[in-house]
Amino acid sequence: MNLNFSIVWANLPALWEGVQITLVSFVIALVIGLPLGVALCGMRLRKTGFLAGTARVYVTVFRSIPEMVLIFWMFYCLPPLLGFRVSGLFSGSLALGLVTGAYLCEIFRGGVQSVAKGQWEAARALALPRSATWLRVIAPQAARLAIPPFVNFMTELLKGTTLLATIGVADLALKSYVLGAQTFRYFEFLTAIAIAYFIIIFPIARFAEHIERRLAKAAG
Amino acid sequence: MLESLDFSALLKYREPLAWGLITTLWLTFAAFAMAIPGGLLLAFGRLRGGPLVNLPVMAFVDLMRFTPLLVQAVWIHFALPVLTGVSLSATQSGLLALTLHVSAYVCDIMRSGITAIPPGQWEAAKALGLPRRPTFFRVILPQVWPLILPALSNIAVSTFKLTAILGILAVDDLMKVTNRVNNIVFRPVEIYTAVALIYLACGLVLSSIAARIERRYGFVQTERPSAVIPKAQPAL
Repeated sequence: MNLNFSIVWANLPALWEGVQITLVSFVIALVIGLPLGVALCGMRLRKTGFLAGTARVYVTVFRSIPEMVLIFWMFYCLPPLLGFRVSGLFSGSLALGLVTGAYLCEIFRGGVQSVAKGQWEAARALALPRSATWLRVIAPQAARLAIPPFVNFMTELLKGTTLLATIGVADLALKSYVLGAQTFRYFEFLTAIAIAYFIIIFPIARFAEHIERRLAKAAG
Repeated sequence: MLESLDFSALLKYREPLAWGLITTLWLTFAAFAMAIPGGLLLAFGRLRGGPLVNLPVMAFVDLMRFTPLLVQAVWIHFALPVLTGVSLSATQSGLLALTLHVSAYVCDIMRSGITAIPPGQWEAAKALGLPRRPTFFRVILPQVWPLILPALSNIAVSTFKLTAILGILAVDDLMKVTNRVNNIVFRPVEIYTAVALIYLACGLVLSSIAARIERRYGFVQTERPSAVIPKAQPAL
């Protein structure tokens, strides 16, 4: 067995392009998912009614279907339904964004519901208006509690972007696979990108654990 | 638009699609069933292994949790044979990757479950002269299960969702068969929508079974010190 990792160095520019595509799809998914998650969370926090029901069904559906299936659905079904071509990068990121919305909804909701009931009552006793109660009292506390699962979900989303490789988006995973196939140096390329993903994701995950521990300590 | 839909392809290819679904369910079950003892073993290594076992196990678990399953599956299928000289079939590689990936998550859950058991339980068993092994299997583990049940059921649903990724290795699961059928008839809207609904139905059935098991055997958090079991990660 002769391994030659210099071939990875030689193809670094191509791999760097892959990293950029990965990050672009990550950002698109987040830009779609973040406001969607906030909106869905607001809908779900109403206990009853049409909006709450819709949000609940949405969250259940998008958390039950594998992301892979949604990505393929978007990739193949969006163009005939819309009537114009959509790039794989966009349709794939859109699918990830819709899933992100569902997960973030639950994460935010968990944060809001963990805020002690007394906080609401205190704000009410002080005759604080609804908007101020939300923005000044509830949201800051809910955000603090939602940070660890939110950061954790970011790592999941980063891992999820690799699925776009299956619809031909030239992200880091596909780039390295293609290079491996061309040079027949699978081991070098695949090992290199596995390490690359680990280097990106590991610090983020550790950061989340760190915040979690600090919050736990602060809570006593 | 609506009148031009043609679902006959689904009927025509119902047999391969059904086999795909069976493969998906079989892979889910097999990977999950192997990941439970696998995760328990890893958790053992982390808790009792000493630095020589603890560190490599920790590295393995982190590597599995913090790299995408797609990369792992491709690595095991294409890169591992370079190292070992043994090439596995697509199904073997896929199942191996999925099992290892899920084991790492199970390990973390088991570990926090085991450490959440109050030390008094170990001490009481010791005071009664119970050897270590029966202490673990008869005293500690039965108390761990109810604690970790919610996290484990989340993992089961995740495992089901993750099987769809294995299609990239020419494992003929439902996703792969769907792509194949679509390549023949090119009726994407009908086929992918129908298959998405099949996945949704299976996912919902699986989560409702999990919820039922949880209600039946789960532990209602009242008297024990607050055991913090991490929520299972949503698996993308």
